[in-house]
Amino acid sequence: MASPLSQSIIRLHEERHELEDYQGGVPRWCSGCGDNAILAAVQRLCRDENLAPEKTVFVSGIGCSSRFPHYMKTYGFHGIHGRAFPIAEGVKMARPDLHVFVNTGDGDCCSIGAAHWIHALRYNMNLTVILHDNHVYGLTKKQASPTSPVGLKSNTTPRGSVLEALNPLTVTLGVQNVSFVAQAVDWIPELMYDIVSRAFHHRGFSFIRVIQRCPEFLPKMFEPWLHDPGKTLLLTHDNGLRPSAELGRIYKNQRAHDPLDIHKAREIASEEDPIPVGILYQNPEVPCYEDLRGAGKPRTVEAVRKGLDAEFDKFTIWPDEAGRQRAA
Amino acid sequence: MDMAAKFQDQLVFHMTGRRSGEGLAPLDARSMRPALFAGYRDLAQLRHDFPLVLLEPGIADGFVASLTVLVNHALEELAPRGIEGERLRKHVLRLERELRNALAKGGPGQLSELWAAAAARLASDTDESVSKILALAGRTIKVDGDLVDCDQALPSRFMIHAWRHVQSQKAALFHGHLDMLQRKLSDILRAAFVHSEAGQQPAALKAAVGGMHSDDFDFAAMSRLVGRNAPKDELTPGRRKRIEWALAVLKSQRFHPSKLGAAQATHEFLFDNVAGAVSAYRDRLPQVVELVKAIAVAELEARNGYNEADHDPFFEAYNEDSLSPDDFALFPDYLVCIPADRNDAPENAGLMDTLSSGLPVKVVVQVTDLLEEASLGTGHFAFGVRSARLATTAMGLGGMYVLQAAASSLYRMRHRVEAGMGARGPALFSIFAGAPEAAGELPRYLTAAAAMESRAFPAFVYDAAAGENWATRFSLEHNRNPETDWPVEPFEYADEGLQRVRSEIAFTYADFALCDQRNAEHFAVVGRDRWTASMVPAAQWLTLPEREAAERVPYLLAVDDKDVLHRVIVDMRMMQATRRCMLLWHRLQEHGGIHDSHAERLLAREKAAWEAQKTAEIEALRKSAAAAAPASAEAAPAASAPAKPAAAQAEAAPEEKVASDDPWIETARCPSCNECQIINPLMFAYNDNKQAYIKDANAGTFRQLVEAAESCQVAIIHPGKPRNPNEPGLDELIKRAEPFQ
Repeated sequence: MASPLSQSIIRLHEERHELEDYQGGVPRWCSGCGDNAILAAVQRLCRDENLAPEKTVFVSGIGCSSRFPHYMKTYGFHGIHGRAFPIAEGVKMARPDLHVFVNTGDGDCCSIGAAHWIHALRYNMNLTVILHDNHVYGLTKKQASPTSPVGLKSNTTPRGSVLEALNPLTVTLGVQNVSFVAQAVDWIPELMYDIVSRAFHHRGFSFIRVIQRCPEFLPKMFEPWLHDPGKTLLLTHDNGLRPSAELGRIYKNQRAHDPLDIHKAREIASEEDPIPVGILYQNPEVPCYEDLRGAGKPRTVEAVRKGLDAEFDKFTIWPDEAGRQRAA
Repeated sequence: MDMAAKFQDQLVFHMTGRRSGEGLAPLDARSMRPALFAGYRDLAQLRHDFPLVLLEPGIADGFVASLTVLVNHALEELAPRGIEGERLRKHVLRLERELRNALAKGGPGQLSELWAAAAARLASDTDESVSKILALAGRTIKVDGDLVDCDQALPSRFMIHAWRHVQSQKAALFHGHLDMLQRKLSDILRAAFVHSEAGQQPAALKAAVGGMHSDDFDFAAMSRLVGRNAPKDELTPGRRKRIEWALAVLKSQRFHPSKLGAAQATHEFLFDNVAGAVSAYRDRLPQVVELVKAIAVAELEARNGYNEADHDPFFEAYNEDSLSPDDFALFPDYLVCIPADRNDAPENAGLMDTLSSGLPVKVVVQVTDLLEEASLGTGHFAFGVRSARLATTAMGLGGMYVLQAAASSLYRMRHRVEAGMGARGPALFSIFAGAPEAAGELPRYLTAAAAMESRAFPAFVYDAAAGENWATRFSLEHNRNPETDWPVEPFEYADEGLQRVRSEIAFTYADFALCDQRNAEHFAVVGRDRWTASMVPAAQWLTLPEREAAERVPYLLAVDDKDVLHRVIVDMRMMQATRRCMLLWHRLQEHGGIHDSHAERLLAREKAAWEAQKTAEIEALRKSAAAAAPASAEAAPAASAPAKPAAAQAEAAPEEKVASDDPWIETARCPSCNECQIINPLMFAYNDNKQAYIKDANAGTFRQLVEAAESCQVAIIHPGKPRNPNEPGLDELIKRAEPFQ
């Protein structure tokens, strides 16, 4: 809450930010890495929304993707493996006024952090979450991740991966309180930006799975999709994506999909070829945990006094029955 | 007596208001009432909205509840379905009736107290289990508050309670924010002190550690240590002065009462006249300006965003004229609850000026008499122009919230009342509290409801902030049958042969006037033997053409105290008033989008034009029917011919390619992966959206262009043709470039 006067003064002298204001050094990802496309889209979003760098936080776990906060000139928290979600939730709970983003990889989110991921979905806190899914552990030089396809030869699966890949979209759409699920691919920048923007404006846990290339360890994996626009299915809707005419001419494989329809969303989530790109599900009515728990409420003198009294009462010896009842 | 003679008497009465002959009896308004009221003899026996409980703050959402609803909820919780719960239901409903009776006889009181007293009365002559049941039901009702009936005091009590409810919510938000700002400003001063020389003295450090462990430290050594390393006071004198000023203003505000008990008394915002409220508003303006400024300064300081060069001149120029409705929304609204007999008093003369000037004032006007005569003394009904039409006038001024309602419907409109109390800017609430004592013995609940049903005092809401047009701002939804002239109710009675007769009765303004004994002269009771076919129901009479109406006499159905049905004919003056009431209602209907004359005229015009067009088309078809069939078959492709090139054009568009020898990049498809810039950062660069374009094709070689095209993951770099014919290995490069052209 800010008073109307200070709001107008702040607007009057508001600082406009350029793209460079969000760029924190040269990324050390491999050349051609899909992470760059995500970084570009997010930096554009920050500039277009004029997010105050000191009011923006990027939280990550461990992995290639999780180097993301280093390249943003905002607040960042490069956390421990799989624990990006609890850290981000803590930040949001203490400071609901901050814009909190989470960058996590397929290993970080879907393997070691899977339990936190499921419950973060249930909490539905207002976070913008980007799952950088390159189907491989890249930072540790090519091991199979939960989303690696069957048969992928890697350092941990030299004879080829034997397990069916986990589908992050069907998992998220199966969790209670899910409120926003989208899929993007790193090689269509326009849609990447649109999806990140829609996710940012959604109030709740906005989960974007970005299918991204790893030119170092899986250079050929997405070649068929890169070269054949027909293998990408654009999900369009008035309440979802509305691709430009130019993009529409390239990607003609389009399907109207209402993001409120969770059953259709689950069907689409199961499709792998063509790759569906767009907003699969969005429900603005799902309550946010921070609202339910009254996050960020100032600890007023009265509240502190009441809390202290309640604590002291636990150890007070009451001389009569009335006092005991009051304590209870 | 023949039919004509019977009718002659009635016509004379209708035209002149004079009863002649023996056939017409005077109306005894004490015993006679509109037929639809037959079922409402004893309101205490009927479960309806009233009495209401004005809820104590903090226990439940909302500010008012109906006793009937509370009892229903308690019964749902306690009494099992079927015969098992029947006993419990019976006793609790008996207690509810007892409460209604008690309230009708005595004054209002707390629900819990009245409940306990009524339970004790009922349990006195029954067994102990009844007392337990009633006490249990009382405990199940979790809320408490004053129990009020639909009496003369209701409008002011109800509205003041709603206002307090809204203001307490506003105060909670205000204090939460102010408390946070005070803590932040205090923290800044505290941090500055800790960093200052004074704060690093041994005594100050000792005080900071507290008594329990003070012996464990050498504070002199600590002082030397922190004095060497910690930063010194960073607060400039200007900033310190500003923060201290803002803190002092925030602490001394007198607008919203503090829960912790304010050091000084807060301002009063409840008035009984407009002049008093306006005067208080003016007197407090300087304090409002100071507090608004202090809050803004505190917010800027809390985020370390106060820039003296920019903000000092701004705050210096900020004065009473700069205050906006948004600023006033932080403060309590003034409530002016004008007593029923003071509407025309001199201290309220500025009511319309006050409302139209946008002051944050909520005014409650109570109307008690809708059937008063015009002030000019012409003998015409004034329709309460001086007070009852106030809401319509205010609505005409725009820019405010206006609510008109009868007291009987206040509970149903509670959410609208709450919205009006919370609306920004002025609001006017015009409430009809029921007919005055002189009108007769009918309960106020009935006369208030009758005024609303009869369109004499229709309920409406106008919210200037609810959108851009009348459709979103204006609502008649709380009236019964808003689309018709009069509400129509089903009515059943037994005829002379004791057979059930079902019919429908419209409730008109004349029916409402019948409830008021002061209007008895406008009505005459017609004996059963003198009923003629020329008598028509009043609502129907109003719809007759003038010539036909002149040959008919309007009548109302009324019942006496023995519930015998009578026909009561109405004189011309009363019918004129009824017609005028209907016309005023039509005007409101148009505002509400019902029978909108403009829309209907437009619709008629469009319909006529459409019909004319279709007739012409049919005529044309008929004429061409004789023409040869092949001719029409040829016409079809001719008509669709122009579409083809357009479609072909649309298809052709994507095929267009840049026909140039210059290298180029499909910038919009660039995923920003840096590959090309690593090869030659002078040749390739990023645009504002961090997507690559060719900055300078001459800044590198054709080889670099080809290598960039090959390494580009999404194959969007097109190398074009070589610029330097002498570049080594050109043949091989041109071959490698071919897939990317």
